Amino acid sequence: MDFFGNLAMGLDVALSAQNIFYCFLGALLGTLVGVIPGVGVLTAISMLFPLTFTLGPTTALIMLGGIWYGTTYGGSTASILLNIPGTPANAVTCLDGYPMAQQGRGGIALFMTTVASFFGASVGVILLMFFTPIIASYALNFGSAEYFALMLMGLVAASTISEGSAIKGLAMVALGICFGLVGMDTQSATGRFTFGSLGLLDGVSLIALAMGIFGVAEVIMSVRRIDRSAIDPETVKLKAIKPTRDDVRRSWFPLIRGASMGSFFGTLPGTGPSIAAFLSYAVEKRIAKEPERFGKGAIEGIMAPEAANNAADQTAFIPTLSLGVPGSATMALMLGALMIHGIAPGPTLISSQPQLFWGLIMSFWVGNVILLILNIPLIGIWVRMLMIPYHILFPSVLLFICIGAYSTTFNALTVWQVFFFGAVGYGMRIFGFPGAPMLLGFVLGPLMEEHFRRAMVLSRGSFTTFIERPVSGTIMAITLAILIWGVWTTIKQNKRRARMAREA
Amino acid sequence: MNGRLNKDIVGGLILVAVGVWIAWHAASSYPLGSLRRMGPGMFPAGMGAITAILGAIVAVQALFREVERADVRIWAPLFVLAGIAGFAIVIPLFGLIPAIFVVVIVSSFADLNVRPVTLAIMCVVLSIMVPLIFRVALGLQLDMVRWPF
Repeated sequence: MDFFGNLAMGLDVALSAQNIFYCFLGALLGTLVGVIPGVGVLTAISMLFPLTFTLGPTTALIMLGGIWYGTTYGGSTASILLNIPGTPANAVTCLDGYPMAQQGRGGIALFMTTVASFFGASVGVILLMFFTPIIASYALNFGSAEYFALMLMGLVAASTISEGSAIKGLAMVALGICFGLVGMDTQSATGRFTFGSLGLLDGVSLIALAMGIFGVAEVIMSVRRIDRSAIDPETVKLKAIKPTRDDVRRSWFPLIRGASMGSFFGTLPGTGPSIAAFLSYAVEKRIAKEPERFGKGAIEGIMAPEAANNAADQTAFIPTLSLGVPGSATMALMLGALMIHGIAPGPTLISSQPQLFWGLIMSFWVGNVILLILNIPLIGIWVRMLMIPYHILFPSVLLFICIGAYSTTFNALTVWQVFFFGAVGYGMRIFGFPGAPMLLGFVLGPLMEEHFRRAMVLSRGSFTTFIERPVSGTIMAITLAILIWGVWTTIKQNKRRARMAREA
Repeated sequence: MNGRLNKDIVGGLILVAVGVWIAWHAASSYPLGSLRRMGPGMFPAGMGAITAILGAIVAVQALFREVERADVRIWAPLFVLAGIAGFAIVIPLFGLIPAIFVVVIVSSFADLNVRPVTLAIMCVVLSIMVPLIFRVALGLQLDMVRWPF
């Protein structure tokens, strides 16, 4: 089928009444979660994950996708009106968005960021439409050695480039892989680390792990820390939403630059929307004629990051859908959703599940148009949601986490897993170990083992197969370079910190 | 706090212990096989060893630099986790509605400022809302109340 035939088919799938409804629901819930600080996107997706079990895989993914990009739209609302980033990707929007709100230009800021979000997302979806099939068709020739190398690169990059210590990220990847190996070994039918429990033969529950590490740990960290009484209802009143001609003129180039940077960083493992937003803000400030305007309500300072984070949200799907290698924890959850529905991720996905792939992509258009229309009229409701005190919110969140976990298996063991990973996740926060690499390792662990073992069988037990094969060798070399760079920057940071400590 | 015992040393050592245990358990309980044909124990043993090595690096690094002190909370994790455990114990025995009451009431203590009226209203509202969402809208077969006797 040709490209336009595929698009038409995808549109057909995306525009079915059921899919529009769940796309709308996902985008709405995503925006809601994005607005509320203390409930992150990973918590939201894993909490709402069980709701998608009764749906078909395409509809389930459409809804989860809607939650994902909906949070970025919603996050900007909290950043601008309250100076609280709803999600980390929106943190930089506070810098100029909140001053705009204080100057009575909050309505304009919200309107313009909605436009920026839509523009960024559109660029991202277009790239996704063109590049995913090309990359996937190239990857069809990959063998087990290449896959193993690719996953290793994804994990190393995701854990070394993201915030914090590279070594700690890598350690969490390894630990996550270990958790992923619990259960029945597919090749020898040995139950590993099950300790006689029949329930653990199916492995550790992805949902329990994600909800424990992110949801429960986040609640523990936020209790009695999030104070809503500081919100002044006067600052959130919207006087005008119509931008001036000057606002529009200033916005064009930041939009384009933001969307390009976001698209690029979205595809790379480990970078994603937050880093894209920060870098595009830094670029705008660097090249601005009057950099002193930044931080005081410069419209460029909200347009570029919001275009960037939304573009990155969309292009993050490129490696996930074309190679089956997720670059971030959220994408790992998406991949997990596919696998729970019995669909093998990888380059064959597009050809074996064209309805799912093209339907999902076209649903991104539907969802972004819904968000474009919804965001402004619903701001009043979002602000009221922000006023809900956390002492009412958090027990409800915990309740939904428990029911969500229980409803996946109807076995209390899954709730106990949430308990276990909640404790582990809190421990990781105490000692400063990141959660995202662990989730990535968990999802990729069993696949890596399978490919590693198969590659070793084919090479008759020789490790050199990973280096001798040209594609796999190249990927391994890049992985090594990323690793060295990551360790080197960590050492440099430590030295700088030590020097600062001495001087202080 | 003596300057040497910081959170990276403790965290790193915990990882070493966990990694060593994983590697030991995998190697002693499951066949390792050969490099050419690996058994179920080989990959987990390797991963456990890598976890332990990385944990050791984290701990050793911490000897040579300043690490900020850990921020440990006691009551919040205790009540939140107790609420979840309560749910896990109650739901197979007594059904959903009692489990809702347990998790909401117990975890609310994490706030250290319990508001009895708000709490009662929340329990009632959630006990009506949750069955509507999960039982009626989603069609999940959850028992509302169950008597084990």
